[in-house]
Amino acid sequence: MLGLLDHPAVQAGLAPLMVALIVATALASTRFAWLAIIPAYATMVALDTGFSLFPPTVARKTILVGLLAPLFGIVADLYPRASRAIAAALVVVVGLLSIWVFTTVLQNREQASALAAGAGVAAFVAVLVAMVLRLRDDGPRAGATGLGLGLAVGIAGVLSASIGALMAGVAIAVACGGMLIVQAAFSRALAPGFTGALPVGLVCALVAAGTLLLAELPWYALPLLLLIPAATSLPAPARGLIARIAALSGYALVAAVIPIGAAWYAARGALF
Amino acid sequence: MPKRLAILVLASAPFAAGAATDSYTFDPLHTSISFAIDHQGLSMIHGRFSKYSGKFTIDRAAKTGGVELTVETASVDTNDNDKGSRPRSRDEHLRSADFFNAAEFPRMTYKSTHVVFAGDTPTVVEGNLTLLGVTKPVAITMERFRCNPPTATAKERCGGSAAAKIKRSDFGMKRGIPSIGDEVLLSFGFEGDKD
Repeated sequence: MLGLLDHPAVQAGLAPLMVALIVATALASTRFAWLAIIPAYATMVALDTGFSLFPPTVARKTILVGLLAPLFGIVADLYPRASRAIAAALVVVVGLLSIWVFTTVLQNREQASALAAGAGVAAFVAVLVAMVLRLRDDGPRAGATGLGLGLAVGIAGVLSASIGALMAGVAIAVACGGMLIVQAAFSRALAPGFTGALPVGLVCALVAAGTLLLAELPWYALPLLLLIPAATSLPAPARGLIARIAALSGYALVAAVIPIGAAWYAARGALF
Repeated sequence: MPKRLAILVLASAPFAAGAATDSYTFDPLHTSISFAIDHQGLSMIHGRFSKYSGKFTIDRAAKTGGVELTVETASVDTNDNDKGSRPRSRDEHLRSADFFNAAEFPRMTYKSTHVVFAGDTPTVVEGNLTLLGVTKPVAITMERFRCNPPTATAKERCGGSAAAKIKRSDFGMKRGIPSIGDEVLLSFGFEGDKD
């Protein structure tokens, strides 16, 4: 049993999926069912590298930010004012937060390179989080987006020499897949709100940006990741929740092929 | 009395100069920093770092010495730079955040704190290794150490070989354990010209 827990497919796939399914089922009658993403992600971290805060590396700060993001999401969901303004404020905050996450890498670069990389990463994180937050009232769209983004970030990550990115991406993908399964099983859409959408968007964005700065992901893969939330914003069948989930997941997976192809192209110098 | 003291001090000056600490700079042509690590209980994978700089000092009379070494982590080389049919080479992977995290921690350093002597030969160097932002004590065992006297065309030159063991998990490098071993064997061959 302990040997099984050492297997990456269990650490990033099976175990986070089981945790997501159990927690989401338990919370399905509340508005915070999407909190299930966090224990699923935390399960991957615990089984893979374990928790550690020091020294505060990019990877550790990404985990910390990912685990704390739902707290800000809950506050945002409970805040009585217009949620559009909250979304805009969160987007600005996560953009600035990403600079803090990557400070230790940026400070090793020449000033001009650090400024360009910092600005680019902050813009990417802000835009991706903004696009995921736009889907916060639609459970099937948010779930399909997390599925596609997680797989794209993970597979592009391993093609870029980062198993850490693979583990994080797959954990988010299976957790979002779990949310889609629970919605299909209950025949009820579960809106993620800020609580669910913020950590999904933020973890995927930070892991992708980290793979750019710490491994070999090409820069052009980052804007291509934005195609995934764009694809899941396309019109989908309005009737039948399962058909809707299937269609949106299909959109997300097709769009995910593009950044994965970019990472493959960067690694191999050819697409085929 | 002051005059006799001055004579005594002057007379002892050459001995004092001879007992001074000598400093040597690592010669990259005759220095190697390599490591070996278990792979799935089968083979030992060997690697090395090609870029580093540092000095060592020794004062045989006082039985003191020191080592300072800075290694560029991006220079890791396990003789696997050719990707072949794979998307990425092992060395690209070793440079990523999964292992040496070279973009975030471009250097690892070793600074000695104490050198143990047997007679006038250093046998163990105790010091601190900083890798991935974590500093841990590491003892380096000297397997041999000797110096060649200066010649008409060359300075005094010292060199030797040494070895150490570390657990990479102590430094937060946990990826792949236990499939890829936790214990890393470090070996050093070095020479340095007297500064």
